[in-house]
Amino acid sequence: MRRRVVITGMGVVTPLGHTVAELFAAQAEGRSAVGPITRFDARALPTTFGAEVKNFDLRRYLKDADRFARSGLNTRFAIGAAKQAIENAGLLDASRGDRSRIGVYLGVGEGQDNFPALINSAAAAVTTGADRADPARFVTALLPVLDPRAEVEVEMHTTVGHLANLFALDGPNASCLTACAAGSQAIGEAVELIRAGDADAMAAGGSQSMLHPLGVAGFTRLGALSHRNDSPQTASRPFDLTRDGFVIGEGAGVVILEELEHAKVRGATIYAELTGYGSTADAYRMTDPHPSGKGAIRCIANALADARLNATDIGYINAHGTSTQANDAMETAAIKSVFGEHARTLPVSSSKSTLGHLIAAAGVVELVTAVMAIRAGVLPPTINYEMPDPACDLDYIPNAAREVSVDHVLSNSFGFGGQNVALTVSRFRE
Amino acid sequence: MTTRSRRTVITGFGVLSPIGSNSAAFWEALRSGTSGVRAIRGFDTSSLSCRIAGEIADFDPKALIEKSYRKSLNAMARMVQLGVVAAQLAVRDAGLTKGAMPPERFGVSFAAVMAESEIDDLGGLSTACSSGPNQPIDMEAWGRAGVPQMPPMWMLKYLPNMPACHVTIMHDAQGPSNSLTTGDLAGVAALGEALRAVQRGAADFMLVGGCESKLNPLTLARMDTFAPFTRAHEYPDRAVRPFDRDASGTCVGEGAAAFGLEELEHAQRRGAKIIGEVVGFASGVDRGLTGLGFARVIRNAMTDAGVQPSDIDHVNAHGVGVHELDRFEARGIAQVFGRDVPVFAPLSRFGNTGAASGILELSCSVLALQHGLVPGTLNHDNPDAGCPIAVHTGTPRPVTKPYVVKVSATDLGQCGAVVVRKWE
Repeated sequence: MRRRVVITGMGVVTPLGHTVAELFAAQAEGRSAVGPITRFDARALPTTFGAEVKNFDLRRYLKDADRFARSGLNTRFAIGAAKQAIENAGLLDASRGDRSRIGVYLGVGEGQDNFPALINSAAAAVTTGADRADPARFVTALLPVLDPRAEVEVEMHTTVGHLANLFALDGPNASCLTACAAGSQAIGEAVELIRAGDADAMAAGGSQSMLHPLGVAGFTRLGALSHRNDSPQTASRPFDLTRDGFVIGEGAGVVILEELEHAKVRGATIYAELTGYGSTADAYRMTDPHPSGKGAIRCIANALADARLNATDIGYINAHGTSTQANDAMETAAIKSVFGEHARTLPVSSSKSTLGHLIAAAGVVELVTAVMAIRAGVLPPTINYEMPDPACDLDYIPNAAREVSVDHVLSNSFGFGGQNVALTVSRFRE
Repeated sequence: MTTRSRRTVITGFGVLSPIGSNSAAFWEALRSGTSGVRAIRGFDTSSLSCRIAGEIADFDPKALIEKSYRKSLNAMARMVQLGVVAAQLAVRDAGLTKGAMPPERFGVSFAAVMAESEIDDLGGLSTACSSGPNQPIDMEAWGRAGVPQMPPMWMLKYLPNMPACHVTIMHDAQGPSNSLTTGDLAGVAALGEALRAVQRGAADFMLVGGCESKLNPLTLARMDTFAPFTRAHEYPDRAVRPFDRDASGTCVGEGAAAFGLEELEHAQRRGAKIIGEVVGFASGVDRGLTGLGFARVIRNAMTDAGVQPSDIDHVNAHGVGVHELDRFEARGIAQVFGRDVPVFAPLSRFGNTGAASGILELSCSVLALQHGLVPGTLNHDNPDAGCPIAVHTGTPRPVTKPYVVKVSATDLGQCGAVVVRKWE
């Protein structure tokens, strides 16, 4: 008999709230978190808006928060979300239980480069007449202006390393970055670690902020972002005919995954059961999803099979739903292919309509949404859904939440580069 | 805990390293004790404390990569190119032709990092908005004149999931796919994850690789501010000294290595040559770098493999040549093995290759098991009293036992171990 994995703690830091309750209330209301970018002066960029985490204060979570003053937001947000989740699960007290059986797995971005230093040094490296930047000049200009305490925090292993050290999580430790699928992938792989007996509990999820000049510019150049600068709050419009790209967000989410018997012995509150995980690759193109969704289809099917669920058991899909032309049409086709007749009445919504796209944190925050939907009997809407697209013809829960009791939810995440992840989460039953 | 009924063997290997870019050359350099650490070429590094590195002088991706994929090289940072070519070598070595197996049973697990921007990609756009050193960036000019000069695929060139992305496309690998980013632990973690994927039946073949190039000027400058680099520049090949009393710091390297991991019966059915078996894995964190947590992880991996210390031919260590980190690693190894099992640390030959290090270093021991000879650790002359382990040095010694344990760790105490068995 396979080891069952349940969710016993949840924590989030998002543009819609810094607790799970705040987040879900705002999602159910259909409130948009999108607004003009304030983190830096983005007024001259092709896209001037995003979904920012506002009023985040690490001191709410840590006594010695100053230690992380020079860490990237990826680490700072992750600490906030992890602290909530671990506390929520009743696992803060490191003197109890075997901490070597509790690990960390996050989909997490890198810390942020020092943008002014980088640009000024690159400019200093370009000499008139030369066709290439001079690396020696670049390095000489850059070295004196870098802060070692910030640079060491750019390294990608630091976020999960810090979480382990802060919260005494001595078990398996890993991080991944499969673009927009990373948070879900971390959860799926953490589930497998528990099933395989490598751990009894895992703090898993994701954290990222790309709301910095290079991040926004990079996505702009890929043509991935919405340009609806005159109306930011209606820019994220998944499945709507007039969608024109995603809205960049930021944040973190962590869930505590725990082996069922381990949770029961501790008397932990069980929020839901993580029942299925599927991971596939499109093996198609760097930027575009496979148009008919071949990777997505198999990934969803694999998650259902892993959960031993039939397609008709799924009562709600929390979609990847990025608000790009390509994703939303492909995802719709994939859902229709897997769910057949059931897809006609199966409610689907995109959390990105209100939250924006939290990149590596998207999957976990959307999974938390799915858990809350099961517990509250409320399915959050897809907001800004106005003009139906013939290529997107499902029930997207347009603009208003719906009271429906569901037992099993599917959450999709599809990354740039064709890495696909699907998770199923289920109402806990003995 | 669970039955590990499906056995996982290594059926393919590809390597690009400062000491050789095919399996035969790499082994010959290992056996003969050749170092690939040299003065950094290409630009004047006199403003850096890091002036030596393990560089692959002759890497020619255009000549190596499959013709049909050549045009994509422009969209790949050097790290990605290294990973993709090493993977291609491993797939070829495994004798796996396209269509030879169902694509959905072929997965990828790659260790990588966010590569850093090449300055040529930023040079032009930076002059549009920089007003000189220490001046704020003109954000109006950045948006209007800078960003339009950014190469359209700039972001995708550097992402850590790009090695895996290209590998899945080139080899039509549609199975489970992940990109691990846990620094020096990433390679061991990627291997452990692939092992579990094969064991539980999620895939029959997993391409496991790691790649990194730390020779990019931005990476070198950034790391120079915090990394414990050696300043023994005059003697590059003797500079990095694992577990040695006179260790003076580490240096960076670049490289890539990849294994084809395959379910045993699947490999046997298609008549694949088998070069080793992966039998155990564990990871964890040793807070405070005491060695106790590291030892627990090593023991967990050995329990997973069902082996005892007396079964182990040698331990393959990370051995970066920094006292604090080497002593941490040695305390962990000593807790489990004392001085009874020889320790081999290949890093002094090619520098710290970061995300590539786990697979690249392990491959040295896989080849050692295959050839029946363990090369000596370079530059370990006087044991450090803080490292109570038996480091194998000098001429190669014969392999006498069937198992190797590969260990790896980071400066934050994240550690991992895998156990590999000689195939007989």
